[in-house]
Amino acid sequence: MSVSFTFLSPFARCWAPFILHRKKKNLYSAVLQRYICSKTPSAPFPNKESTAPTEELELDKWKITMKSSMQDVSVVSGNEEDTLTATKELIEMWRLLGREVPENISEEELKTVMDCVSKSSKKKYLKYLYVKEKAKKAKQIKKEMKAETMEKARDDRLLETIKEDKQQNFLFLRLWDRNMNIAMGWKGVQAMKFGQPLVFDMAYDNYMKPKEMGYTISQLLESEGWNRRDIDPFHIHFCNLKMDGPYYTELVKRYGEKWDKLLLTTTEKSFVDLFPKDRIIYLTADSPNVMKSFRHDKIYIIGSLVDKNVHSGLSLAKAKRLNLATECLPLDKYLQWEMGTKNLTLDQMIRILLCLKNTGSWKEALKFVPQRKHTGYMDVSQQSQELLNRLKKLKTSNKFPKGSLKQHTEKNR
Amino acid sequence: MNFCFTSIRNFSKLWKSHQYLGLGPGQSLAVFKDYCGLKNQKKWFSRKPGSPQNTKANNLLIAKAKYLRKGNVGSNKPEFSESPHYFAAGSAKKRSQNINPSKDRALPPVKCSLQIPTKPLTSEEWAKLQADFKGKANFENWMFSQMVRSHSSLDVAKSLLAWVAAKNSGIVGYDLLVKYLCLCVFHKQTSEVIDVYEIMKTRYKSLDSGANTLLIRGLILSDRWREALVLLENIKRVMVPSKTNYNDCIQGALLHQDANLAWNLYQELLDYKLIPVWETFKAFFDFGRGMKDDQYTKKLLDILLYLRNNRLYPEESFAHSIKNWFESVPGEQWQAQFTTVHKSGQCLGCGKTIESSQLSSEEYDYLKGKIMMDVIDGGDQYKKTTPQELQRFKNFVKTCPPFDIVIDGLNVAKMFPKTQESQSLLDVVSQLSEMNLRLLVLGRKHMLMPSSRWRKDTMKKVQKLASCFFADNISEDDPFLLYATLHSGNHCKFVTNDLMRDHKACLPDVKTQSLFFKWQQGHQLAIIKKLPGSKVVFQPILSYDTVVQTTGDSWHIPYDDDQVERYSFEVPTKWLCLHRKS
Repeated sequence: MSVSFTFLSPFARCWAPFILHRKKKNLYSAVLQRYICSKTPSAPFPNKESTAPTEELELDKWKITMKSSMQDVSVVSGNEEDTLTATKELIEMWRLLGREVPENISEEELKTVMDCVSKSSKKKYLKYLYVKEKAKKAKQIKKEMKAETMEKARDDRLLETIKEDKQQNFLFLRLWDRNMNIAMGWKGVQAMKFGQPLVFDMAYDNYMKPKEMGYTISQLLESEGWNRRDIDPFHIHFCNLKMDGPYYTELVKRYGEKWDKLLLTTTEKSFVDLFPKDRIIYLTADSPNVMKSFRHDKIYIIGSLVDKNVHSGLSLAKAKRLNLATECLPLDKYLQWEMGTKNLTLDQMIRILLCLKNTGSWKEALKFVPQRKHTGYMDVSQQSQELLNRLKKLKTSNKFPKGSLKQHTEKNR
Repeated sequence: MNFCFTSIRNFSKLWKSHQYLGLGPGQSLAVFKDYCGLKNQKKWFSRKPGSPQNTKANNLLIAKAKYLRKGNVGSNKPEFSESPHYFAAGSAKKRSQNINPSKDRALPPVKCSLQIPTKPLTSEEWAKLQADFKGKANFENWMFSQMVRSHSSLDVAKSLLAWVAAKNSGIVGYDLLVKYLCLCVFHKQTSEVIDVYEIMKTRYKSLDSGANTLLIRGLILSDRWREALVLLENIKRVMVPSKTNYNDCIQGALLHQDANLAWNLYQELLDYKLIPVWETFKAFFDFGRGMKDDQYTKKLLDILLYLRNNRLYPEESFAHSIKNWFESVPGEQWQAQFTTVHKSGQCLGCGKTIESSQLSSEEYDYLKGKIMMDVIDGGDQYKKTTPQELQRFKNFVKTCPPFDIVIDGLNVAKMFPKTQESQSLLDVVSQLSEMNLRLLVLGRKHMLMPSSRWRKDTMKKVQKLASCFFADNISEDDPFLLYATLHSGNHCKFVTNDLMRDHKACLPDVKTQSLFFKWQQGHQLAIIKKLPGSKVVFQPILSYDTVVQTTGDSWHIPYDDDQVERYSFEVPTKWLCLHRKS
């Protein structure tokens, strides 16, 4: 590096006067052009500029102004070796180019950028920051607008109350939220005592990157929320939850002081130690067995795992190791699957299970499967039709190509 | 069927190489050959690339051709037309076209809205044009992007810049400047490149990687080419430079006769674990033409060895460069020709035998261990099988004497959808057992359950003719297949049409993967078709290894034909044969 810089500086010194004096510069470029022309005769584009300079349009005028507003030349030599500033400058230049990079970046994030191994991972991370920044800004604007309208509404209301200041009779104080929470807590305690267990298996921390772990925790939070609001909640167990593991620290971080008041069971033990093995059913999309109906006497287990890079068969392998029964949702039976994996998110799983538990209807339960993944429900008649079609195809496939071949050859003649 | 595809592919190649015109001296010849499509026409039917109106007629022709071919081959579904080898370049493409021929025929949609001006406009004219422009994007940006795309002349671009500058009190944005630079580089206007370089240097503290790349490419043609190296250093401060950055710098160094610098850059490139682009190699060979310099010659031969070790196959134009260099070496009379290799492994050019694809015993043991460790076990034995089953299998293999052929029962049975599964398995097994070979059939337990697809009596017959091992229904059978074959020794082959790409992907590094591929080529019997009398025809096994190789006074270099699209798991079929006149 140092070697190359040494020959830059004499160059820079040499060229600086040329830049300042336009005449000389033109002379130089003319010489250079001649040189280039002789060097590369096969240039695909005819050298218009040298042959017919279009004077009346003053094509090069912009260059003068660009050069005249010159910065301190000493900056150019680039003596600061710090990659940090270099990275910062690069990001700034990318922003000028309209790339997807954040406007402001903290030191910490900058260090993360530098730690990214490859160019693409850098770009990916920067895009993530960009999107985050954009969302934050949009939220801020929305908040301000809301505050404005609220202010207005309050003023209006004030006027109204002044106008008609009369007593009204109410049955309840407005304490709905608190009452709701208390009721849910009551139901939760009931579930802790008499509810059907539902286990989240937290033994997959080695298979997930921090990002995926974040997603998993979000999904767990949401699952717990859905369960709490349900009319007949499960008794949730977080099994294999290591007290110093990433699951635990993240959960405590998200729940805050509420963590200790959650109405669910957390344990470092495995579910095989808590429940009899023959009552356990491990739910995994890789299972060969299809779930026919929801059993109220079984203990269903959901692996709390988000795998962005495909660890296929991970939970199936786990169930095999512990010699447990496995089941998967009958997605193909009831839905016309279109795209996406059959792995559903944790909150979708718990909503489906809750619905099954309360109603027992598959059609009702499977409406929690994202709509983009399927085109609609399979009706029974259609299913049998398909089977028939398949059989027909098998039978006719012997005849079909030959027949059509004949037709084609006849046409040829 | 094929001419349609080739024409489209050439079209895209044309665009690519056109863009690259900016670089190599001596490269233009090859490009123009592509350009005119001279070569491919003698190969396929001599049809002109179809215009959009013509596609309908084309489709009809294609459909006809398809049906006719179907008639020729026979009524069986897996119809792989007259045997290019299973792993030969382009055969996967052909297979996929057989399955769904309608794919990738559509031409890219042609977008056109506003006309791109062809000559410089005045400010008023630009303002008028902007008024006409309806679109979300910024007018100047959009217009400039279009101009870059259609390679407008520099004067037009300049007039746009002048107009923008006039609007913005003499300031032109960085993005427009970069786009202008892109045009300058494309048209090889070196003086303009230097002008823009000066402007950028004065206005901005540092540049982004894209601008640096463009500047490097522009500067190497001028006599300020050494500054390109400074720019390269600038890129290095933030990220690893791309291989094209290095390529440009190396080309520049060679253009200005500084071979040492070029080799240093090349070494740096390798140290970053980047794989150089073909142009880089080509530049070295072109530069060394007619040179008598032992040091330089040795380095070129090192490049060839690098290709060998990484199993890279030169593209056609590079093969020509290699040939030309060998022929130009003073004092050594090299004779070169483009040929193919006979099935037996003999070069049709000089008659020498190509290296055998057999692994050495060390390599063999290493591969066996790796397959056991990474493919079957993989850190969790429960993923693909169970420990009990693995033990059962190991005991089973140990008690049996080595096999000659291992058959993937399910794959073979499902090959012919019109025959009953157990019957087609029996056909294959009985045909092979007639040759007095010791067979092993791998399958799953459900095959033993009598059903309409798996008849009990036929399965009994199979079990009489061959040893059988049935894995659990949820276990994978392929890893067992691989291990059983490897365990039986070097003579043992396996029958399946599976390309085993997923198992190859389980292997930890590229070296092991290529070793696996080499072994697979030499030991996999793929079924090509079935003759009427329930006879099955196997793909003949390649006895030779497709890789760059030398015997000192001869070189054999497989290369990629420009017309054939080779998939990563296939090998080229064309060779460059070089040998010394004696």
